[in-house]
Amino acid sequence: MSPRRGFALAETDLRSFDRSEAAHCHVQRPDRYRLLEALPADVQRMSRGSGVSYVGASFASDCVVQDLAAFDRLLDFDGERGLLSVEAGARIGDVARFALAQGWLLPVVPGHPRASIGGCIAADVHGKNPARDGTFRAHVEAIEVFDPHSGWLHLDRNRNAERFHACFAGFGIPGLISKATLRLVPAPGGYSLRGVAVAGLVEAREVLLAHAGAPLLYGWHDGRADRFGRGVIRFGLESKEPVATPTRRPGDLPATVKPWPVCAWNRSGIAAMNRLIAHRHGPGQMHVAVEQAMFPLNEARTYFAGFGAEGFMEAQWLLPHAGYAEFVGSLAGEVARQRPRISLIASKLFDGQAQGFSFDGKGIALAIQLPQPKARVQAAFIAALTELALLHGGRPNLIKDSSLQAEAAQRGIAEFAACRTRLRAFDPQQLHASMLTRRLGL
Amino acid sequence: MTAIVVGASSGLGRALALELARSGKPLLLIASDARDLDAMASDLRLRFKATVATLAVELAASADPGARILASLADLPPASMLLLAVGMSRSDDDGTLGAVAVGQLLAINLHVPIAITQALLPALLESRGTIVGFGSIAGTRGRSRNIVYAAAKRGLETFFQSLRHRHLPSSLRVQFYRLGFLRSNLTFGLKLPLPVAEPADVARKVVAQLQRGSFARHEPRWWGIIALLVRNLPWFAFRRMRD
Repeated sequence: MSPRRGFALAETDLRSFDRSEAAHCHVQRPDRYRLLEALPADVQRMSRGSGVSYVGASFASDCVVQDLAAFDRLLDFDGERGLLSVEAGARIGDVARFALAQGWLLPVVPGHPRASIGGCIAADVHGKNPARDGTFRAHVEAIEVFDPHSGWLHLDRNRNAERFHACFAGFGIPGLISKATLRLVPAPGGYSLRGVAVAGLVEAREVLLAHAGAPLLYGWHDGRADRFGRGVIRFGLESKEPVATPTRRPGDLPATVKPWPVCAWNRSGIAAMNRLIAHRHGPGQMHVAVEQAMFPLNEARTYFAGFGAEGFMEAQWLLPHAGYAEFVGSLAGEVARQRPRISLIASKLFDGQAQGFSFDGKGIALAIQLPQPKARVQAAFIAALTELALLHGGRPNLIKDSSLQAEAAQRGIAEFAACRTRLRAFDPQQLHASMLTRRLGL
Repeated sequence: MTAIVVGASSGLGRALALELARSGKPLLLIASDARDLDAMASDLRLRFKATVATLAVELAASADPGARILASLADLPPASMLLLAVGMSRSDDDGTLGAVAVGQLLAINLHVPIAITQALLPALLESRGTIVGFGSIAGTRGRSRNIVYAAAKRGLETFFQSLRHRHLPSSLRVQFYRLGFLRSNLTFGLKLPLPVAEPADVARKVVAQLQRGSFARHEPRWWGIIALLVRNLPWFAFRRMRD
């Protein structure tokens, strides 16, 4: 690179949060707008927020990674209408805390507080109750992107509307997202969180449907063969009385969790963890502060470290209501037959409309996390799970599952080819690429 | 009393602006690109409720940058602090640069800070204020890399020495920092032989020292030992130091 361009390119190894995908990358860390523009227009690139995607969504080996960490500023706040404009590198935890301090809430936040706003848009993340609040796209009013050929573009539902919509679950292909305007809602004082014990995943669906309107709604389940699906559905109702954030709250989960030297989630470890979860998050009622409820992963540092250097994988599938019970039955059978080590199953209710590659629709989403995904038994189970989910009309969450291959993604997303064509129309030279887009053939 | 940060959009300048806003100082931020300045000003206003004005100007191309700054101060409280976090180096500064490139390096590293200081000196003396300059470890001893940059920084240090000589700390605090390696978009990814300081850490120390007299020092302080060694290294050994 010429010195006149005014930036350095570091060569460094980047790894996905689940540790399954890694690459040796060229990274640019611009801190001024003109440095974002300085990359020659024909260079393949991908923008990177905090790099906390489970999969390799923000890097690839032979393209320049543009790290947006410096673009993390708050740009404008309209306290009358609840509109907050931020740069795309702003971390969702910081944005949410600022909003809360002004009495406003961002209704959809992912679990990791360091996820960037640009990342939340590019992955169209969901929050604690997607059936009620939809996905991130429902709360974004406008976006600014940088296209290497067209320059800076302002997008909203009226201007450049097609490109605006393509940015959600566009995985960075429609351009580098630089700014966004978010629509907030008035914040509650806190949440009254209740847990309902369920004996299995079919019962979990009934409980989720019964509390569809709750602002917080998700389930945690045991994945062991002899207790498959047992767990608790937690639902939170808005509390009128303010609940103070605990003075000794855990810090934000780091972008990279240093793994333990060995994987702790063997059968004994998983049994102990499930007992702990049942004890701490079992049936009952508690009052929690809004911030505490938004980022439960802040308390999961040990959990992620425990996967060790081999990492983990999460398969998340959205199963339509019609085939859900049959899917759960088949899955339980497969778990009993193969006895994989499942560290956790999480359930959520969805009631939206799938658009593009977004993880949305109507049904129950099950997220299944497994340690050591490359081990023989684990890999065989993941393959069987993928096949079962596809057989029952499941839709995969592309931003979560690093084991998912293009063929399975094409089967799981009805209009895959059409979605891909629409997305690549904004990037005909395929300048934006990541491990994720290459693996899935986007 | 207003603090003026020149070179405020990146690296140390940005960190200084953040630290000064945190301490409640009204700010005038100066850099070349209005987009960066607007973003910074908005952020500081929202996070710290700070009073922030901005001036976008190509300093190296301006014959009298001080005049533009004085005009921008009209609606702000009197200036009491001037922090000159402005500077530029380039990797091909190895004795092969043409006249234009040499002129740019001298302008941004030497002429601009001196011209701004001269223009603001009366206001700073009136407020018994503080002026802060930033040199570089590169100016310790001339080498075959960063040739023009090092010369400019050495010149700037001499200028600050003269200021200290001219003004008692009771009338004007003159502070000069010789910086070691600093994390920036230009040093990002470089394999440097010694640890790199975080701009935020340096900025915290600089702001904490603003009321504490006149001095010239290394930052981080341990770079003083390195500079001492480099200065006293016999010539035949120093000539062999290429990295």
